[in-house]
Amino acid sequence: MGGSSPCASCKLLRRRCAKDCIFAPYFPSDDPHKFAIVHKVFGASNVSKMLQELPVHQRADAVSSLVYEANARVRDPVYGCVGAISFLQNQVSQLEMQLAVAQAEILCIQMQQEPNLPTHQIDQVDKSFLLSTNNFDNNNIPQYLSFASSSNVIQDPLKRESLWT
Amino acid sequence: MSHSTRCAACKSLRKRCPEDCVLAPYFPPTDPQRYACVHKIFGASNTTNMLQQLPMHLRAEAADCISFESRSRVEDPVYGSVGIITQLQEQIITAQSELVKTKGEIAFHNAQQQLQQQQMQQLQMIHAIAQEVEDQPLWLSSSQQDPFPNVNQQLLEDYNYSNTFCGFEF
Repeated sequence: MGGSSPCASCKLLRRRCAKDCIFAPYFPSDDPHKFAIVHKVFGASNVSKMLQELPVHQRADAVSSLVYEANARVRDPVYGCVGAISFLQNQVSQLEMQLAVAQAEILCIQMQQEPNLPTHQIDQVDKSFLLSTNNFDNNNIPQYLSFASSSNVIQDPLKRESLWT
Repeated sequence: MSHSTRCAACKSLRKRCPEDCVLAPYFPPTDPQRYACVHKIFGASNTTNMLQQLPMHLRAEAADCISFESRSRVEDPVYGSVGIITQLQEQIITAQSELVKTKGEIAFHNAQQQLQQQQMQQLQMIHAIAQEVEDQPLWLSSSQQDPFPNVNQQLLEDYNYSNTFCGFEF
């Protein structure tokens, strides 16, 4: 009954937008660029298959992440999202180092203030600092990239836009 | 002319692998899983187009990144590489707040130390002054050492008497 306007994907693909069109809830007709970029990078049939394999309540997030990745790949045809990952991993490493230095300094200060502490109590002070930093220990952060990362990294998408807009 | 062994892409697509196959250098037959992920997420023609648009010296890196992204997406079908980005951003926020907190503790300790040093210096000054006052010689006190050991004591007493006669000082 009545013709509701076709979704952005069916408009681009020039086909009839069925009632149960898998793209329609996530690619409204008022934002044609969103589907265009996803179609350019992944292809409509691949996106359709990916969405079909997911439960309905997860599809919106999946579409958002696909749009983000597609935008990243168009902006940086060589590194795409991986450029951003590389940049963030470097930031994490630097912060880890700064944190380790600062915590070593705190430990020194504490040891200077309590020079008569028995050794087992000093060990416990050590452990409390180590335990609070074990989230940033190199053994716990997965190494996502094993190949050379580039200086041509994407910073803008991370600074300027929220991930899920 | 074709490759003696087909690349993973052409094997997967069940076609002849030509000499100038765009994908062959980056998807060797020894790693079929690598191409399988790329094929599932991006597809053969999209991948070929993406690589063809790049200069030769950048294609290897691009192929690696495309492979990484497709593998991430296969492992996490909802968020893919974006899930990794989110996780890293959260780690950065946590690390930054931990760093600020730790630097605050260092600043507090340093300020405390400085205050203690200042207080110590003031106490030392007061002690030094007190010691000086205590050490100051009292010339007219009989318990002190005679400041004029070689002077005739009688002459000195006469001098003092004459200078203070009737309370008048010369």
